[in-house]
Amino acid sequence: MTPEPMKGSDMKAPATEAATHRERQGSVTAKLGETAPPAREKRAGSREERRTAYLMLAPMMVLLAIFVIWPLIFAFRQSMYQGNFYKPPVFVGLDFYKYVLTDPGFYQSLKVGAYYAVIVVPGGMLIALLIASFIKTLGSRMASFMKTTVYLPTVVSAVIASVLFKIIYADQGLANWVLSLINVAPKNFLGSPTMVIPAVAVPGIWLGLGITTLIMLAGLLDIPDSYIESAQLDGAGFLKRTWYITLPLLRNVLLYLFVTGIVAAFQEFLLPLLIANGGPVNASTTPNLYIFNQFRAATPYAMTFSITASLLLFIVLGTVSALVFRLIRSEKAVDA
Amino acid sequence: MPEMTRSRRTLVVKWVLLVLIAFSLVLPLAWMALSGFKRDSDVLKSPFSLLPEVWQWQNYTAMFHDSPYMTAVGLTMLGALIFTGLSLVVNSMAAYVFARLDFGLKRYFWVFCIMPMFVPGMSILITSFVVVSKLHMLNTLAVLIVPGVAAAGQMFFMRQFFLAMPIAVEDAARIDGCSRWTIFLRIFVPNSTAVFVVVGITSYMAYWNAYVWPILTISNPTLQQIMPVLANFVDDRGPQYGQLMAASTLAALPTIVLLLVFQRYIVAGVRLSGIK
Repeated sequence: MTPEPMKGSDMKAPATEAATHRERQGSVTAKLGETAPPAREKRAGSREERRTAYLMLAPMMVLLAIFVIWPLIFAFRQSMYQGNFYKPPVFVGLDFYKYVLTDPGFYQSLKVGAYYAVIVVPGGMLIALLIASFIKTLGSRMASFMKTTVYLPTVVSAVIASVLFKIIYADQGLANWVLSLINVAPKNFLGSPTMVIPAVAVPGIWLGLGITTLIMLAGLLDIPDSYIESAQLDGAGFLKRTWYITLPLLRNVLLYLFVTGIVAAFQEFLLPLLIANGGPVNASTTPNLYIFNQFRAATPYAMTFSITASLLLFIVLGTVSALVFRLIRSEKAVDA
Repeated sequence: MPEMTRSRRTLVVKWVLLVLIAFSLVLPLAWMALSGFKRDSDVLKSPFSLLPEVWQWQNYTAMFHDSPYMTAVGLTMLGALIFTGLSLVVNSMAAYVFARLDFGLKRYFWVFCIMPMFVPGMSILITSFVVVSKLHMLNTLAVLIVPGVAAAGQMFFMRQFFLAMPIAVEDAARIDGCSRWTIFLRIFVPNSTAVFVVVGITSYMAYWNAYVWPILTISNPTLQQIMPVLANFVDDRGPQYGQLMAASTLAALPTIVLLLVFQRYIVAGVRLSGIK
């Protein structure tokens, strides 16, 4: 489906926002009340307002109901029925959850996904931190040039990145040329089960670097200069300043990037699909690619199996990110 | 005097670093664009060279005369423009309601509208496919456009922006008797260029770069979208590396041009969407 590159930032309580908002509304109606008979004006206004609200919300609600909520409920229901397009479904309860949870292929794909995420997320964050720290020291013109350059790969599609990196990893491609510069024998990146995931992780990092860097830069710019300056006066070098001042103050930003990064990386499947087709021997079959392949295999159980597996993944990843964001929020409350 | 040489030295170091980082980030793209000018046999040739030995302009011109490719480019552009327009309208209206209006069920509606942000595409991919096929939408432009228009993330982003708009102007307009629609259209929309640009480009990019949804829902060859066409290109004309690189470059161009034109807004937009 259509991806949302700007994943919503958090689960910041709608309740508190609504509360402050209500206060504002209150002041508006109070002002109106001074100029007109209070009760009637207020009721008429709020009915009008309600009608406008429902009208303006209608397209959003209807579309989400049809294309997200219905498919989601349908998926939960379907995970309890065995069947496909051609046969009437048979109720099987939670059997398929058991099948998925005892399926070695699924666990293998989880391992691959974890391996991929463990390379892409910390690797990408480290590079992003270095580039962001560098951008922070630049003047405004150089900085804006760097910001655009760093963001450039982000707008490139996974398909184009795959086409490109497949050729880069060819026997006589760019990657082996770089190796030849440091006198390393050419490698068959995509044919080796141990190298394929790191190889796929490189375009993964490349594509995600822009957003990570810019968010980290925003976090860095929020750190008061006085902290850094006083550390500098005390003779702390770049590494010490980063370790003792920058990183602790960036904690929430880092946690946010880490969790959203892990959740996203765990779900990556276009790059391994298009670059290595999940191979060699499933070495790059990430969880979603495994699910996608199960679906494409079109065996009688394929649909229920893949739906169930994707729901399990959703439940686990959703719970993890919800918990972590709750944690960030509570810590923020303490800080403030 | 020594201070000046020192600041000069750091400036030189900065320039060197800047060029090095920029070069390594852009290298894959630059290599792709330049390989589009190479002969097929030269694309994968050691020793490595960035510049083509012979400039093969015909790789690019051939793509312009390749009618399935150009049809896909045109159709995807059309779809992306409609998609972008619709998503701006639908999401901004909802965002305005959640930022400013008040009604009894607001809290529940909010949960309903924001929950999709946490639903991974894969979990609903298969059942969405069933839904659109039951609605007889397969193999139409609508199936590519409509399902993705309402996007919780985009709506959330716009709402955050609307929440930060000063409330005084609005109060004055309300006292003058302006309706909520007038306030939205005359005050909010014109003052939200930045957020509209960011959401618009994100939508355009999402549509332009889509791959999985089009390959599932479109089998009609006349309705092919650019990314599936490009992915097939690899299988169909594998060894024609020069043309493949030219085709990839052309397919990457629209989103890159959008970025370069609107870089100011986009770079600021990422800051806005941060965790604050």
